[in-house]
Amino acid sequence: MNLTKYILAAAFSFSAVVANAQEDSWAEWGPTNTSTNAGFIVRAGYTIGGTMPLPIPAEIRSINEFSPKGGATVGLDCYKMFSKRWGISAGWHFFYEGFHTSANVKNYKMSITMDGNTMGGYFTGCDVTNTDAWGMTIPVLATFRLSPRWNVSLGPYFTTYFKSSFEGEVYDNPDGVGYLRVDTPTGEKINMDRNNPATYDFKEHMRPWAGGIELAFDWKAMKHLNVFGSVDWGLSDAIEPDFDAVAFKMYPIYATFGVAYRY
Amino acid sequence: MKKFFLLPLAFAAFGFASCSDEPLNAECDIESVTLGVDTPEEVFYHAYDATQSVPSTADSIGFLIRHYVNVESIPVNLTVTPGATVYVVGADGTESLFKNGSSLDFSDEQIQRLRVVSQDGAWSRSYKLNVVHDVPSEGDMTLDFETYDLDASGKYYIWTVTDPNAVNGLFGSGDPTWKNGNPGFKLSKSSAKPMDYPSVPLVGEGPDGSACVKLETMDTGAFGQMVNMRMAAGSMFVGEFDVANALKDALKATRFGLPFKHKPVKLSAWLKYEPGTKAFQDRMGKPVEGIADEPDAYLVVYRNQDAAGNRVMLDGNDVLTNPHIVGIARLPHHYVNPEATYPRDGGGDLESNDPIHGITSEWQQYVLDVNYYEELDPEILVNNGYSMVIGFACSWQGAYFRGSIGSKLYIDNVNVICEY
Repeated sequence: MNLTKYILAAAFSFSAVVANAQEDSWAEWGPTNTSTNAGFIVRAGYTIGGTMPLPIPAEIRSINEFSPKGGATVGLDCYKMFSKRWGISAGWHFFYEGFHTSANVKNYKMSITMDGNTMGGYFTGCDVTNTDAWGMTIPVLATFRLSPRWNVSLGPYFTTYFKSSFEGEVYDNPDGVGYLRVDTPTGEKINMDRNNPATYDFKEHMRPWAGGIELAFDWKAMKHLNVFGSVDWGLSDAIEPDFDAVAFKMYPIYATFGVAYRY
Repeated sequence: MKKFFLLPLAFAAFGFASCSDEPLNAECDIESVTLGVDTPEEVFYHAYDATQSVPSTADSIGFLIRHYVNVESIPVNLTVTPGATVYVVGADGTESLFKNGSSLDFSDEQIQRLRVVSQDGAWSRSYKLNVVHDVPSEGDMTLDFETYDLDASGKYYIWTVTDPNAVNGLFGSGDPTWKNGNPGFKLSKSSAKPMDYPSVPLVGEGPDGSACVKLETMDTGAFGQMVNMRMAAGSMFVGEFDVANALKDALKATRFGLPFKHKPVKLSAWLKYEPGTKAFQDRMGKPVEGIADEPDAYLVVYRNQDAAGNRVMLDGNDVLTNPHIVGIARLPHHYVNPEATYPRDGGGDLESNDPIHGITSEWQQYVLDVNYYEELDPEILVNNGYSMVIGFACSWQGAYFRGSIGSKLYIDNVNVICEY
């Protein structure tokens, strides 16, 4: 899975660079305003990730494709340091994020209701999903200075979505197997294939908000310029709880890498 | 302090734990049955009749054998869902493990009961398996649509034929029912009541005051749109409706015709028709200007085996055009070839604004002659080598999801007249 690689690579590079941190002066790389010990950071970054069930259920047999569409984040953070190492920050981040995935599933329980009609049962085959989201995130983070030039921040965030979509298709897997058993595994078998896939669009059932934990690392590359990486780990289901087409809770998990200007 | 560096790693490891073990199969279907007889042509009518594929909805499997043949124990081979276990259920309810090749006693048409248990042990299905002797019949039949009932799910109506010539000579005693698209409509409109389906009975509304059938072209709603099948035309036909493939390939899912040992020469039916008031629409649901919807009614006789001995069964793609067709009767229509009277020499159906089917909004009896392209071979006929289709639809292009929502065809008292 590509996302795993991205996150592991990011983690390794952070650890490696941190381990080599120089013994720079704490003051030289501290808040630019030494009287208030506070300031602003303007961030711009590249956002990748996905909205996924965790842990991945046994019904999802394999993931054929996982390609983050590549999003973007711009934001403004205010911070204040209370001591040499500890501080707090809060911000407004505007983002676009999306992903495309194709997974093989087996006996994946699903049910869809539209216009008062319900179709459901157990699906075996290939499920392709595309998501897009535009929104704003407010993180409130505790900041800890690992070293003069390295900060780590951790804390809750809250997201509101201006617009979000979750749509896709179901059809046969690469072995040509694709069918729904209506209601139960002994119900009518309805074959599906890629020549006439069933499409779905759950945008009306997406939760308009999300919440979770953000973890961010900042490295002060220059006097005013940071390089940063962060992960927003969603702890709320992306889909409305009373919508049962997706049997699993889906969590938005996105990472952002970018540069920031520090006032 | 270095422990902080491991935080991102811990996050990653938490989330991307590898997929767990594959769940065991929950399904428990008999997918096909083969009866292991030495000379299948002598027991059945065709060699391929020794094997039957079993639709997911079937729980009763009958093999038609020649009326004079006696069978006793026959080795049975089943294809079942991988991992499933099959038990033979005795008369007293005791179960014994079935192994492929085990012989079962089919003497006196006795029914063998099988229970299939899924690999995960959570699900099971019960099946009945037997052989049925062919019963000689006369050709002429009357099909009056007086006998109908709700299906097992209680969602839609099913019509059973009662004329012994129709039961024994065409439909077969195992499942003597008309087929139509109602099972497919159920998938798209789970909330529909039995009278909201495309094919419904109307009590007391036939020309003789008895029950008749109403076929209506209906909107399939949001689910129909999901699979690009925005309408369901009401239909009634002789054959099989393979609901499993109704979404995958709707034309192939309607399979027409069953073996018949007589030579039909006329199809007569009482009909009336009301075209839909909504515009004729194409598969994408877009209105098509200048096209009027038309009903359809036909009888087709075809050779049901090809030169290589394979089964031939017509479907929605070729029910009126397959080269194995030897005789056809159909309501008058326009064809791409203006000289054509029948689809076989017509170069395709021509939609138009001036239909010539002649069906009015008043009950009237229509008689269609069967036009033969070649004389039937008596030896082939007596060996179930020809199949007959009787079909009705309220939108003649409904198989292609083209027509007017609301078109209605009423049918009653259908007769097939045979020369011999």
